[in-house]
Amino acid sequence: MDAAWAALSLSLKVAGWATTINLILGVAVGYALARLRFPGRDLLDTLLTLPMVMPPTVLGYYLLVLMGRRSWIGAWLYDGFGINIIFTWQGAVIAASIVAFPLVFKPARAAFEAVDGQLEQAARVLGISELGIFFRVTLPLAWRGILAGVLLAFARALGEFGATLMVAGSIPGKTQTLSIAVYEAVQAGQDDVANTLVLITSAVCVVVLMAAGRLAPGRIANR
Amino acid sequence: MQLDVDIRKVLRSGKRTFHLNVRFNASSQRIVIIGPSGAGKSLTLKAIAGLMTPDSGHIRLGGRTLLDVQAGINLAPQARHVAYLFQDYALFPHLNVRQNVGFGLAHGWFNPHERDRHATVDQWLDAFHLSVLAQQFPHQLSGGQRQRVALARALVSQPQALLLDEPFAALDPALRGQMRGELDALQRRLQVPMVLITHDPQDARVFGEQVVQLHDGAVHDAFEAEELSA
Amino acid sequence: MQSMVLKRLLTAVALVAATGLTFAGDLTVSAAASLTNAFKEIAQNYEAQYPGAKVALNFGASGALLQQMAKGAPVDVFASADQETMDLAEKQGLVAAGERRDFVRNSLVLIEPADSKPVITRLEDLGHPAIKRVAIGNPASVPVGRYTKHALEAAKLWSVVEAKAINTQNVRQSLDYVARGEVDAGFVYATDAALMKEKVRVALEVPLDIAISYPIATTAASSNGDEARRFVGFVLSPAGQSVLKKYGFRQP
Repeated sequence: MDAAWAALSLSLKVAGWATTINLILGVAVGYALARLRFPGRDLLDTLLTLPMVMPPTVLGYYLLVLMGRRSWIGAWLYDGFGINIIFTWQGAVIAASIVAFPLVFKPARAAFEAVDGQLEQAARVLGISELGIFFRVTLPLAWRGILAGVLLAFARALGEFGATLMVAGSIPGKTQTLSIAVYEAVQAGQDDVANTLVLITSAVCVVVLMAAGRLAPGRIANR
Repeated sequence: MQLDVDIRKVLRSGKRTFHLNVRFNASSQRIVIIGPSGAGKSLTLKAIAGLMTPDSGHIRLGGRTLLDVQAGINLAPQARHVAYLFQDYALFPHLNVRQNVGFGLAHGWFNPHERDRHATVDQWLDAFHLSVLAQQFPHQLSGGQRQRVALARALVSQPQALLLDEPFAALDPALRGQMRGELDALQRRLQVPMVLITHDPQDARVFGEQVVQLHDGAVHDAFEAEELSA
Repeated sequence: MQSMVLKRLLTAVALVAATGLTFAGDLTVSAAASLTNAFKEIAQNYEAQYPGAKVALNFGASGALLQQMAKGAPVDVFASADQETMDLAEKQGLVAAGERRDFVRNSLVLIEPADSKPVITRLEDLGHPAIKRVAIGNPASVPVGRYTKHALEAAKLWSVVEAKAINTQNVRQSLDYVARGEVDAGFVYATDAALMKEKVRVALEVPLDIAISYPIATTAASSNGDEARRFVGFVLSPAGQSVLKKYGFRQP
């Protein structure tokens, strides 16, 4: 049972970090793609969407090749700082972030594009700085769409298995997330452990969905 | 107030090209730019506000150079100290009337709180008979009420000039006359310089101390401004 | 035109029927991961010798394969990397009684990445600070992990190594991690190490007081009993054994 709670807290930690990273990066990228016009914009959008359609094991393999000890980045990190991403929970966070990134930036882009540009123009003439406009006009009008994406991204990060298994391995307490723990329990014939883990995961998903329902803002009309 | 406009811009949309070539020099407190739809009135007004950047030329308002392409001067809209009234008002839907009106007074990253009181905002709400509506949201207001909110919001920061984009086009005819009268009285009381664009000659009659006519014939034709003294 | 299509269709039906008259359909063989290369070649030879036979191969850790069968996967032949998993299969009634035969032996080796500085000369060197990560199959479901744990417990090194262990899902994953240099050492079979001579270096053969003996059996639920038994016979025959020997497996 300790293993189950360890797996749960690890899964929440990994998914939490991955979603936070994606929230910041996804909103920034979504905003940039919505507002900036440059050649190759749509190509960039497609490339950034790839992790959503690529099989997670393929992604895991790419990450292994790009960040493993023998790779440029991995060797530089290891020789310079003694940091190895593979087999660490940070590696699991990177895998989960990449896999869930499109789930944030795509809805964010759509939400920003749906904001009436004239409102931003009005704010400009009223003397508000660009950053002020983003936080006071654009974001308040776009955040509902973004939130929907963020919740999906959290669920996806929570359930991430293929890429995580390849990059982070399965070290109980360190990188053995809930999905991996279920997999190994089934492989070892430990059905009771598997059942417990599955129940816990399902309960967490239900809680996340209920939170989503609460967070959906009060209808402005009823205020 | 002196308004010196001399701008050129080429706009392309698919196969069509539109040449904007507007040059006029007005020195009145009440300027009307009149012309049919598609004449380039809105573009001109936006250029004055800094919401559109011409390819070449200059714009000087009240002695200040807002734009001088050759000299590399192009003030951001935030720095021009003019007020712009959009045709459909562009009220912030997520803020109530009070927050909308006080929007320009808050300069940080946060909107004024819905129950914040501010003396200046209160004055303007009173002046426009909006106090009773202070907690309402734009979608709950009528067309005329929305226009008043937009005006109050625009005037609260004491702009150097008030730019109005077809302010009465969205109102029904009965209301138009009333709103014209209100705006007329307001401008005379405040003495704020005003540039109004419209296709309605009645507006020119009421507000036009100086009238600038814009024409656009066939799409490819270049056109020039004509000046008519009142 | 239509008569050509019809002729082709009839020929196809006849062929299928003909195959059905001798031995029915495909064979599904679940085999331990370490048997991957050897069994692929054996299956090819088998199909060449008996035209019309088709062998579908399924590789994985023996424990995982057992679970698949326990949950109803339609397997005809099961080849495990240790007796323990086969015992479990028998206990659960998954393999036909009296059908099981030992068909090869293997040995356990400790390997290091080929390009790393050699650190290990004896098992005790696993405690060396330079060895930070060791790839070991998950003992709960992977036979090579169980053999490893058994050997390390006998040498009183299990607790030391367990702290550095990276659990893998099967022996080939351990091999891969060592080959990539992601771990400092790993436990695999001698036959696996031989496949990647350029990337891994055998530091030592791990002393084990039990034999690593692989059993093979036809399953109780097989719908293809005759064909399954013929395949097992082939694996045990000189033809099958010579292939296994080629890959480094020892005689049973």
